[in-house]
Amino acid sequence: MIHVVTAANADAYADLMEQAYRLRHRLFVEVLGWQALARPDGREIDEFDDEHAVHLLAVQDEQLVGYSRLLPTTRPYVLSTHLPQLCEGPAPCADHIVEWSRIGVSETARTSGRRLNPVALDILTAIVEWCLPRGITHFVSEMPTSWLLRLLQLQVHAVPLGLPQVIDGEEVVAIEAGFDARSLARLQAKRGTTSTVLSDPIGQRRRLAS
Amino acid sequence: MSRKSLDLTLSLLKAIDRAGSAEKILDASRPYLQGFGIDHIIASTIPAPGVSRSAQRNLVLFESVPPDWKKIYFARGYVYVDPIVRETLNRSTGFRWSDPDLGRYDGEASAQVMNQASDLGLRDGFTVPMTTLEQERGGISFVGERLEIAPVHRGMLTLVASYMFGQALMAQGSAGARVRALTPREREALQWAAEGKTDWEIGELMTISEHGVDYHLRAARAKLGAVSRAQAVAEALRRGFIV
Repeated sequence: MIHVVTAANADAYADLMEQAYRLRHRLFVEVLGWQALARPDGREIDEFDDEHAVHLLAVQDEQLVGYSRLLPTTRPYVLSTHLPQLCEGPAPCADHIVEWSRIGVSETARTSGRRLNPVALDILTAIVEWCLPRGITHFVSEMPTSWLLRLLQLQVHAVPLGLPQVIDGEEVVAIEAGFDARSLARLQAKRGTTSTVLSDPIGQRRRLAS
Repeated sequence: MSRKSLDLTLSLLKAIDRAGSAEKILDASRPYLQGFGIDHIIASTIPAPGVSRSAQRNLVLFESVPPDWKKIYFARGYVYVDPIVRETLNRSTGFRWSDPDLGRYDGEASAQVMNQASDLGLRDGFTVPMTTLEQERGGISFVGERLEIAPVHRGMLTLVASYMFGQALMAQGSAGARVRALTPREREALQWAAEGKTDWEIGELMTISEHGVDYHLRAARAKLGAVSRAQAVAEALRRGFIV
């Protein structure tokens, strides 16, 4: 189940968001070694985690097992602000394009062996499910070049925005990808179900139960 | 300069995206790659230890190397001593075979592989490691007599390699079984395994030793790309090899 947290429902998710900032720190700073994101309080939170950010939380048994973030490209975002050298031209800026930044899945949720990580698949499905009705049809993202193949295998039609660059010792590339109803259908086929991956907001559920 | 390089690369990526088969992927890429001095290409996933020759061949996604090299490589099990394969498993980004920080080839076997390759025109290479969604490791090697690859070209070749690999996987998937058929004995052993029989019981039923049972089940696993008996059973059921 993927919970989508925005400014509108953030109050109901205070606890899970705290888990999210700590998960981000553990995954990106400790596991992946992206020292630039390190913070003394162990919460990975940056200047873009404001009221315009959309957080996707993968929750299993009330524990946070995966996280992702979407940012509007019509305001400053990670690529446009910190990594413009990854784009040959100006960084994209449009209402129908979001930046997908910060994708991380907790080790406790990972599956070993040859099986496709279901949490990553759920998050990608949630992004498409949430974006399409809001007129969002593209995302941009920066990633290590070694992640490209996996994105392509998920049938994401990614187009590089610039040639890969080595940043802090890692070869990174910025891509733009479009998606539509067919993309959603393909993801649902991979998940083996057409039922939604999105949950209801916690607040709404509590009201219904009382 | 980088605008032109990007545009050149993007138009190749588009062509790869439209290519419906390994042949077409290679055809689309050849002119671009020849500009770097690349004459030969190999794309493959890396086999686990003990995989049979035929199963190793099966893991090759596409290739365009001298037939003599292909023959020697599989006949002599070179994949298990090839230093480039070892480097591929230890890295996540592209590397040149001439990179100074590549470990010296340890042992005669490793040196032999490189020397024989060199004799057949596979002298200078650039290899891009790959990791699939299913956590399989593999890579693409671009090889020639002498490669002209400036640092900026590494990024371009890495992009092209990823798209070639991704497209080939998709073409293979839609083409259905690239999996070689199981032999009757492999199928029989797997069918009994699917019904919960132990190795000893299967040996009794097939009148062979437990060692023989293990041999057939291992071969079946390799052909089906499975890491465990349960996975092999699931794959075989899915493909209709057993019921």
